[in-house]
Amino acid sequence: MVKTNVPQIVAIQIHNLTRRFGELTAVNGLSLEIYRNEIFGLLGPNGAGKTTTINMICGLLPVSEGKITFPGNVRKDRRSFIGYCPQENIYYPKLTCLEQLLFMGQMYDQPFQLLKKRAFKLLHLLGLDDKTNVMAGNLSGGMKRRLNICLALIHDPEIVILDEPEAGLDPQSRMLVRDYIRSCKKEKTVILTTHNMDEADRITDRLAIIDHGKLLLLDTPQNLKKTMGEGDILEMLTEDVSESVLNDFIEKMKLFPIQLTRNGNILLFTHTDMINRVVEIKKLAEESGLKIEELKFRENTLEDVFIHLTGRSLRQ
Amino acid sequence: MKFVSIITKSFKEQIRNYWVLLLTLSMGPFFLFIYDLMTESSPQQYKICVVNTDRGITVEDSFVNYGSDFQFFFKQKGNSMAAVTFSVCTAAGKEQGIEMVRNNKADILIIIDRLFSQTIEKKLANDHTNLPQVEFIGDLTSQKYLISAVWINEMINEYISKVTGSKRVVEVKETPLGESGAIGEFDLLVPGILIISLIMLMFTASIAFVSEVENKTIIRLKLSKLPPLAYFGGISVVQLLIGVLAVLLTLFTAILLGFGYSGSLPVMVLVAVLTSMSMIAFSLVVAAITKSANEVLVVGCFPMFLFMFFSGAAFPMHSNTLFTIAGYPITFQGLMSPSHAISALNKTLIMNMKVSDIMPEIISIIVLSIIYFGVGALIFKRRHLRTL
Ligand SMILES: Nc1ncnc2c1ncn2[C@@H]1O[C@H](COP(=O)(O)OP(=O)(O)OP(=O)(O)O)[C@@H](O)[C@H]1O
Ligand SMILES: [Mg+2]
Repeated sequence: MVKTNVPQIVAIQIHNLTRRFGELTAVNGLSLEIYRNEIFGLLGPNGAGKTTTINMICGLLPVSEGKITFPGNVRKDRRSFIGYCPQENIYYPKLTCLEQLLFMGQMYDQPFQLLKKRAFKLLHLLGLDDKTNVMAGNLSGGMKRRLNICLALIHDPEIVILDEPEAGLDPQSRMLVRDYIRSCKKEKTVILTTHNMDEADRITDRLAIIDHGKLLLLDTPQNLKKTMGEGDILEMLTEDVSESVLNDFIEKMKLFPIQLTRNGNILLFTHTDMINRVVEIKKLAEESGLKIEELKFRENTLEDVFIHLTGRSLRQ
Repeated sequence: MKFVSIITKSFKEQIRNYWVLLLTLSMGPFFLFIYDLMTESSPQQYKICVVNTDRGITVEDSFVNYGSDFQFFFKQKGNSMAAVTFSVCTAAGKEQGIEMVRNNKADILIIIDRLFSQTIEKKLANDHTNLPQVEFIGDLTSQKYLISAVWINEMINEYISKVTGSKRVVEVKETPLGESGAIGEFDLLVPGILIISLIMLMFTASIAFVSEVENKTIIRLKLSKLPPLAYFGGISVVQLLIGVLAVLLTLFTAILLGFGYSGSLPVMVLVAVLTSMSMIAFSLVVAAITKSANEVLVVGCFPMFLFMFFSGAAFPMHSNTLFTIAGYPITFQGLMSPSHAISALNKTLIMNMKVSDIMPEIISIIVLSIIYFGVGALIFKRRHLRTL
């Protein structure tokens, strides 16, 4: 996941991408480049425009403005080199896992013997071996999710687009999926959307944080976390107090070289040497008349970055 | 290749949705059983009720009653007809006779006038001032009444000329076409029911087309490079199999129940295949304007009832010319393929006509299928298969 300085080949170039639904602008002037062999994440809260962006990349939705190009690809029809796992599970309930993988593969003109091998391999890698001959309609939610990921990959596309691949997965399955996505990187470009910070942090190489259809930040997860300031975070949950008391305290804090972010009743303090600052902060808070309900000490997360950027939490 | 994949996939799905499949296939046989329970399968019988009010006349010391004589003559004739059977019964009076017609115990009531014998005797004496009178009573809209009336009329003329020795002006001869004289009510219904079993195909076919839209798998097909024609074609082939199976099952049931047909079975199967195709094509239109099986069930009812009731499947229909194309009249019925199918089946199975005789029907069905398919495919593509 460490970023190298090897010059990157652009797989997808998005320029000023905009999509309007009537009055609403779901995606607003998005410009970014996605490199070959990277795992690219789109992070944002509900309604940020992630699915809309992806649908435009796949060619399911016409763009209102802007352009999407695939410079690395000579083939004109993007349908042949994109594999798509939609946010919502889409499958043939009356076909078995194997049957639908083979069927979809055939729709992409793949040779049958090769398809068969690939299908078994995919089912194995995503932990569905024993469900090979089970009708998709009879799978559990998490299994359907994994089947959907298999379906995106059955024709061995160069670009894999996964809309919330981890939704509804238990921790074990999540590990399987993550391992698989990471292994894809060697020969594919992966785009995934999520509002799961942990997922984004752990598997993406670069991450675009979007909200209201706009790109807020684009960088590696490590660098993004640095934008919050180096170091650890002190999270302070205050009791319901008047705005004036809180604002008074925030004013006072400005005198210290400590970064402060507020998210409702929660105050986040960031500093490289947090441990030695805790006493100081606590004292100041008590002096200002602030009642502390809980005081937590933790590492910097992407969630913090998001709150810092948007002033609101991702988990609503 | 993709075409074959679609066929096998659609076939599997159809078989696994066996509940819907069973219902579709059992529709025709089921209707036949019901009809069989409701109708007599013996050849058509015309029930005639006679009320003889003739007072008779005494001629040279012997009493004659031409009324009862006619009745006897009439009964004999009725039994000797091969193709059509008439059963004659008598009622005590007019009131009772009318009651019998009302209760469907008789198709026609004839009342022989009280002066029947007297007028005949006068006629014999060359007094032509009064003619022998017979009154017909019955439901004028009933086909059975009409046929009975024509026949009785003829009998009366024959009888009068026999007893009076007068020359008949006209002699009417009736020749039933094909088997139409010998077949029963049940046999008459079979072609319609064969077509009804195909009209039901509209539901399975529409649902097959629309199920991909409903479970959104159409998105996957859009993203793969599946040509729409392969999609439509693959599903159609499976539905065609179901259609042919439905017709054969219905026909088999009909034969088991004693269906007497005369025409050739291959021609019947040809008509069934063509009709299935047109129904599948029509289903594409239904699927194109709906988004789910539920919608198909609601929307599909409109054409289903149109096809069932106004195409002649359930009962004979006549319709007015809507407009003409190059002198060829287009009727509302003519726009519905089942009406041509029924006409073709009637011609072959009942009137024993050859393929060449049903060419106009065959061509109409094919043309309509192409039109339905074109319209359906166009709308379906625009609504459900649009890609960038
Ligand atoms: N077909 C549509 N018609 C109208 N509005 C739409 C349509 N599709 C999406 N939107 C709107 O566009 C905005 C972005 O939706 P989108 O599905 O892209 O969000 P998202 O980032 O994928 O959210 P989530 O995390 O909930 O999946 C939302 O406000 C949504 O209501
Ligand atoms: Mg989404």
